[in-house]
Amino acid sequence: MTTALASRPGTSPVIRLIKSYPMEVILVVLVVILIFTAPGFASLRNVLNVLRTGSLLGIIAFGMTAVIISGEIDLSVGAGAALAGCIVAWFCGALVDIVGGPLAALIGIVIAVAVGFAIGFSVGKLRQWFNVPSFIATLALFTALRGAANLITGGFPLTTFPKGFDFLGGGYLLGIPFPVYIFALTFAGMHFLMNFTRFGRAVYAVGGNMEAARLSGIDIWWVKCMALGILGALTAVSGTLIASQIGSGTGTTATGMELDVIAAVIIGGTSLFGGKGRIWGTLIGVLFLGCISNGMTLLNVSEYWQYVVRGGIILGAVLLNQVLERVR
Amino acid sequence: MLDAMPPHLRTGGLLEFDDVTKVYGQTVALSAFSHRFEPGRVHALMGKNGSGKSTLVKILAGVILPTSGALRVNGAEAAFHTPQDAFGAGVITVHQELSLVPSLSIGENIFLGRLPMARKFGLAVVDWTRLHKEATALLHEMGLDLDPHRLVSALSVGQQQVVEIAKAMSFNPSVLLLDEPTSALATREVNLLFTLVRRLRDRGVTILYITHRMNELFEIADTCTVLRDGIFAGSVEMTEASHSLIVEMMFGETARARRPARKAIDRSAAPVLAVDGLTRHGDFEDVSLAVHRGEILGIAGLLGAGRTEVMRAIFGADPVDAGSVTVNGRTVPTATPKQMKEAGLGYTPENRKEVGLVQILSTHDNLCMASLGRIAPSGVITRGREKASVTRQIADLAIKVSEPLLPVSSLSGGNQQKVVIGNWLNTQPKVMFFDEPSRGVDVQAKRQIFDIIWDQAERGLAAIFVSTELEEVLEVADRILVMRQGRIVAEVDPTATTLDELYRLCMEGSSE
Repeated sequence: MTTALASRPGTSPVIRLIKSYPMEVILVVLVVILIFTAPGFASLRNVLNVLRTGSLLGIIAFGMTAVIISGEIDLSVGAGAALAGCIVAWFCGALVDIVGGPLAALIGIVIAVAVGFAIGFSVGKLRQWFNVPSFIATLALFTALRGAANLITGGFPLTTFPKGFDFLGGGYLLGIPFPVYIFALTFAGMHFLMNFTRFGRAVYAVGGNMEAARLSGIDIWWVKCMALGILGALTAVSGTLIASQIGSGTGTTATGMELDVIAAVIIGGTSLFGGKGRIWGTLIGVLFLGCISNGMTLLNVSEYWQYVVRGGIILGAVLLNQVLERVR
Repeated sequence: MLDAMPPHLRTGGLLEFDDVTKVYGQTVALSAFSHRFEPGRVHALMGKNGSGKSTLVKILAGVILPTSGALRVNGAEAAFHTPQDAFGAGVITVHQELSLVPSLSIGENIFLGRLPMARKFGLAVVDWTRLHKEATALLHEMGLDLDPHRLVSALSVGQQQVVEIAKAMSFNPSVLLLDEPTSALATREVNLLFTLVRRLRDRGVTILYITHRMNELFEIADTCTVLRDGIFAGSVEMTEASHSLIVEMMFGETARARRPARKAIDRSAAPVLAVDGLTRHGDFEDVSLAVHRGEILGIAGLLGAGRTEVMRAIFGADPVDAGSVTVNGRTVPTATPKQMKEAGLGYTPENRKEVGLVQILSTHDNLCMASLGRIAPSGVITRGREKASVTRQIADLAIKVSEPLLPVSSLSGGNQQKVVIGNWLNTQPKVMFFDEPSRGVDVQAKRQIFDIIWDQAERGLAAIFVSTELEEVLEVADRILVMRQGRIVAEVDPTATTLDELYRLCMEGSSE
């Protein structure tokens, strides 16, 4: 844990702060710069906007953090989110006349989440039984799930949601966008899970050294499968919110989202080698990515430049972590 | 870059050590070693672990430089700063671990890094025809009937070892160092290797041969040089040597180790752990044993005798073909480490760095890893709840750790070993397996670890103790089973056995 870093005599508190909390410091600096340079960045409307967009990414990123710490990865979350939205939309259309709109939507959401969990869990089982790396299995799902989503919709947006469904993705509760609540809940839940449960501690052990964990009597495959399953379920939740926000189930939505999700996790200091990372760090990563994109848009930076900058940030974050590792 | 193999091997070289010393910090690993290794002979090098044997190997392989002293090849002073320097001087080492790439062909492995090239269409491309022709010639010359096109992964371990030597010979060495080449080989394959070694010797190559198996010495070696605690203990012609002479040179006058007065063990009660007919073909056959409450059972055997394999199998870490494991009178079916842990078994593995600890996690986390279920029956866990288990083990086992929340990798070897043990003691096991608990720890920590084992046995823990160091097995255990080639071949009482006798029991074919 970073908090336990030994303080060496002779180093100033500022340096220590930067060494211990590099991304936190950088985020604060970035926010301060944007407040003074980007017109309208600090307005309430804009802040809520950043939070809403960040929420949809973050819900998945917290699940991804657990998966990456466990030593696996999931490249299919963008497609998974699209599929979830289409499943919900399909059930809304199919059941609305039988059980009514709200119940149809609820059934759809439950099924979408269950499907998401099952897909993630099976990725783990493929790894266990046939030694298929999760990178490969989810690369296959990356295209297969998107295909499946389009099969459900027939290639056109399914606008079958009942009245009021748009609240989930676009509504406000007490002046704050609804997805932000889900985001906060997911953060709290995943933070608790990773730090205060047997399962969470086992995730770190399995990712840090699979064989040592196995010899310690930890059911390593259960741990990996569950981490992947939880990510699948959270992906479905986020996919539902996205569909609600755009008002339809669409097979082509959330393209490229997996890269942003993984980027947020990495910027947050989680190691792709497994065993190391924090949910808190991912929260910082999500906010950082959100602020950067929003700030660049406000500053009229061209979309192409934004891609280049985002790429540079991912690389920079990894380099920073490697360098700090050595300094420490 | 080295040229591809010239067709004829050059004759061997005289290898001389003159006052060679290697010091690591406070430790003298090799002390004023002087010796001449004559060309055209097979020189065995013997010594128990820590005798300075591996230091000697590293110096010859160009991995480390001696602190002082000189090394001469054919009279010319040589200092090997890098492995390339050693190659250049004609000294080639074949390490114990194979260094072949399994997915490549024999031929490509032999010439890896110096593939013969040809120009085609103005481009430098690999000349496969020449490569395979030269490889065939080389293999043929060494009396090997192997097709260089075959993939290394398709070869047996023995054949791979032979290819490894062929590769070494392609550098045209004058001195060839073989580090335990037979440790992974079956008997038939050992013969293949010996034929090759004799052939090379007859060509005049100077061969240094390191082994743990004494019987091999009499078969293959011409001389035997023994190191003990970093000091040259003597050198004999094999024609004048005997088993006991070499054992005496290796161990010297061994003082009888101290051991605490042990309580009498009640063997009338049912054993805590009973293993019956455990078999995994090729690794171990028909292993049966029983351990009682408070008893320390030692398993002695040379490297590769199957000690670790048996322990891992009992613990459910590896599959078995037949046999049963009974803990506290209950037979555990289809064992996994998880089930065995629940049944009351604990296992501290031999390679603690690789599989005993999660190095990037803290001492705190590593101490709780096996006992998460015990600490948090409801699944919810806090550092506060774990704290009791952590501080108890740190105090009980005297683990020297300034901050338990720092990564365990910052601890010394001895303290890391104590963390591995503490992790298991937190599960309150009935039976503990200690696999090489003293490997890579300093003398003081070793004493402490033995005290911990005795102390736990006193409190009723049944233990199985395995060590390559036979003195340790004699010292720590209440009863010793001897393993040889995957079978239990003898049971001895440590108080009525000498080191020499135990060592002989562990050797292959010592009955002759």
